[in-house]
Amino acid sequence: MADQASEFVRQSQAMAEQSWSQWMRYLQQAAGQPTSPMTGFGMPGMAGWAGMPGMSAPAAPMSDMLERSLAGISSYLEWMQRAATAQAAPVAPSTDWQAAMKDMFGAAGQPFAQAFEGIDSTAAQGFVQQWQAWLAAAGQAGATDWRTPSYMPGFGLHREQQSKQQALVAAMMESAEQQRRYQALILKANAAGLERLQDRLADHIEPGRQLESLKSLYDLWVDAAEEAYAEIALSDEFREVYGAMVNAQMCERQLVQAHLEDLCRQLGLPTRSEIDSLGRRLQEVRRELRAIEGGAVNGELAELRAELQALRKAQPVAAQTHSGGTPAARAGSGKLKEKTKVGARATPEAAPKKRAAPKRASAKSATKAASAEKARSGKAAAKPSTASPVAAKDSRKKRTASRVRRAAAVKSGAGSRRTLVSPGIPAPHRARRK
Amino acid sequence: MDTPLRIDPAEALAEINRFQRKLAAGLQNLPGMAEPEYANTPRELVYAEDKLKVWHFTGTRPTARTPVLIVYALVNTVWMTDLQADRSLVRNLLEQGEDVYLIDWGYPDGADRWLTLDDYLNGYLDRCVDAVRHRHGLDAINLLGICQGGAFSLCYTAMHPDKVKNLVTMVTPVDFHTPDNMLSHWVQQLDVDRFVDVMGNIPAALMNWVYLTLKPLRLNQQKYIGLVEILDNPAELENFLRMERWIFDSPDQAGEAFRQFIKDFYQGNKLVRHDLSIGGRPVDLGLIQQPVLNIYAQQDHLVPPDASRALGKHIGTQDYTEIAFKGGHIGIYVSGRAQREVPPAIHRWLRARD
Repeated sequence: MADQASEFVRQSQAMAEQSWSQWMRYLQQAAGQPTSPMTGFGMPGMAGWAGMPGMSAPAAPMSDMLERSLAGISSYLEWMQRAATAQAAPVAPSTDWQAAMKDMFGAAGQPFAQAFEGIDSTAAQGFVQQWQAWLAAAGQAGATDWRTPSYMPGFGLHREQQSKQQALVAAMMESAEQQRRYQALILKANAAGLERLQDRLADHIEPGRQLESLKSLYDLWVDAAEEAYAEIALSDEFREVYGAMVNAQMCERQLVQAHLEDLCRQLGLPTRSEIDSLGRRLQEVRRELRAIEGGAVNGELAELRAELQALRKAQPVAAQTHSGGTPAARAGSGKLKEKTKVGARATPEAAPKKRAAPKRASAKSATKAASAEKARSGKAAAKPSTASPVAAKDSRKKRTASRVRRAAAVKSGAGSRRTLVSPGIPAPHRARRK
Repeated sequence: MDTPLRIDPAEALAEINRFQRKLAAGLQNLPGMAEPEYANTPRELVYAEDKLKVWHFTGTRPTARTPVLIVYALVNTVWMTDLQADRSLVRNLLEQGEDVYLIDWGYPDGADRWLTLDDYLNGYLDRCVDAVRHRHGLDAINLLGICQGGAFSLCYTAMHPDKVKNLVTMVTPVDFHTPDNMLSHWVQQLDVDRFVDVMGNIPAALMNWVYLTLKPLRLNQQKYIGLVEILDNPAELENFLRMERWIFDSPDQAGEAFRQFIKDFYQGNKLVRHDLSIGGRPVDLGLIQQPVLNIYAQQDHLVPPDASRALGKHIGTQDYTEIAFKGGHIGIYVSGRAQREVPPAIHRWLRARD
C-alpha cells in the first residue's frame, strides 16, 4: 500500500512538472520569448500576484508576465497534487479526515496564501522596497543598520538632511510594522477559513453527500475561506489595521518623494510638486474663465432681465408720475421707461424667436438713435431740465443698449449678439455648431 | 469512521490529468487571439470637452420623446453598458424605443489631477446635459445614473432640478455606512488627504487591486480555474477575455475628485446626512421632486442593497419606484436575466412619464 502511494505521488509529480514546463515553453515560444528554466510547482520566482502591473515594478518580460498570469492556476494544480497525495497516503483519510484536511490545506504553499501574496504591495510597497533594499545594502556596506536606528540630534549644515533621513528610516520601520500586523490578520483569516471548511465538511459525512472530486472540495473551501475573510475584513480590528497600513505606506512614500525632489532640484530637474502647482493654477484659471463665460455674465444678464421685467410692470404708473410729479420723480420714471423699451429690443426675453434680420434691423435702429443722440448731445447736456422727452429717452436708450452689448460681448468673447439668443448653450457646443 | 471525502486516489489523478490536458489544449487557443471588441452599437459624437465625450446611439428610430443620458461612474469605463451585442443595456434600451446618450468620461491624466466634484458635476455633467437638451429643444431630459454615476445624478438633480425630467439610478450607493459595505469599512481610517497628496491621481491598477481583495480567492484564483473549463470554447473564451478587458482597462481617478468623494461620501456619509455641498451648492435629496426609479442588485458586493435602498428614505419625490434585481453588481448589465428584465422595466417606467 505504501509503495502504491509512493508511486502515485511520483507519477503525479512527474506529470505535473512535465506538463507545466511544456505549457510555459509553448507559450513563450508563441510569444517569441526565450524559455526560462522552471523549478516545477514551487516556482520560487513566481511571487503570486505580487508586483502590481503598471505600478512601480519594472516592466516584466513576457515570460514573467505569463508566469504571473497563470500563477493562480499553477497553485491550484499544486494543491490538487497535494490533496491527491494526502488521499493516497496509507493512514488518511479514513482515520482522521480533519488531520487530512490540514495536510491538504497546510499553510505552506496553499493557494489562499498565494492569492493574498502581495495584497499589501499596491501603491507603495514595490517603490519603497527598492529604498529599503538600498538602505539595507548601505547598512551591510558599513553604514548604520537602518532597521535599528536611534535618534541622533543633528547639528550645523547637515542638520536638515540628517533629520530627513532619520524620519524616512522611522517611516520605513513603521510601514514594516503595520504590514506585519496586516499579514497577521490575513493568516488569521486563513486559519478561520480552514476551520469553517471543516465545519462544512461535517455536513457531508453521511453517504450520498460525500465529496467525490478535488474540484468540489476546492469550491467548498473557497466558499468557506471567503466567508471567514469577509468576517475579519469587516471587523473593527481590520479597519484599524488596514487604515494604519495604508497611511504608513503613504507616509513612507511621501518622505521618499521629498528626498527625490531634493535630488532633482540639485540636478536642475523639474519636480512633481512644481508640476502640480502649475496644474493647480491652470485649473483655477480654467474655472475662472468658465465663471466669466457663463456664471458671472449670465448672472448679470439675469439681473438685468429681472430689472426690466419689473420696470415693464411699473411702466404705466411711472408714465403717470412723469407727467405730474416732481423733477426728481420725473427723472426716475424716465429711466424706468427707457430700460423697458431698450430691453424689449435687446434682450432674448423680449424677442426670443426673432431671426437674424430683425435683430440686425434692431441694431441699426439703435445705431441711428445713437447718432441722433450724438448730434443732440450738446443741447441735452446743457439743458437737462428742458431737454425734449424724446432726446432724453434716446440718451437713456443708448446707455442701456451699450450696457447690454458690453455684457453680451464679454459672454461671447467676440461681441456676437447670437449668444444672446442662445445664452444657455455651452461654449464648446456653440463653437462646433458654427 | 465516516469521512466527508470519498475521493478515489486513482480518480483524483485522473481529475488532475483531465485538468492539465484541458489547460494544455486550451492554452493553444490564446496566442494570437485578437483583443475582443465591445458591442460598438452605432453612435455619433455630439459633444466633446477635454477628455470626455457624449455619444448618441443611432440606427433605430426612438419612440420616446425625452432622451435619456447615461451617467456612468468615474471608475471603470462606460462600455459595460454596451459590452457585447447580446449583452448590451444600450442596445436593449434602443430596441425598446429609448433615445440613448451616454457620457464617456475618458482617461484622466496628470492634467486632470485638480478636477473637483464641482468641475465634474456643475461643469462637465451640466454642459453634457445642456448639449442634449439643446439638441432636442427640451428644458429637461432623463438621467440614468450607474453606481457612482448614480450618486452623481442624484447630486446633479438636486442642484439642477429644472434640467432633469426623470431619474433612474442603478446599483447606486446612497447610504455609505451600511454595516456590510466592505469598501466603506476599509477607508474609514484612511488619511485621504495624505493619500491623494502622495498619489496624485489614483492609479486604476490600485483601484482594481482593492476591488479584487474584496473577494480575493474568488476573483484572483477560482475565476481563472473556471477559465480552464472554457479555454476550448472560442465564443465563451472571447466573452471571458472581453470582460477581463473591461475590468482591467480602467481609468485613473482624478485626485481631487477622489479626495472629495471619499471624504464626503464614504467617510462623511453626507448624502444621507443632508450635509453635502458641491461647489458651494447644497445637495439635499429631500428637495428632489422628479420621479425616481431605483434599481439595485440583491447580490451586490460593491454596493450592498441596503446602501441603495436608503434612497427611498431620503428622496423628496412622491413618485419613487424600487426594483430589486436578482444578481450582482455586474450581472445587472451582462447576465441573461438582466437582458430580459432590466431594459424593459426602465422603458416601461420612463414611457409612463414621458
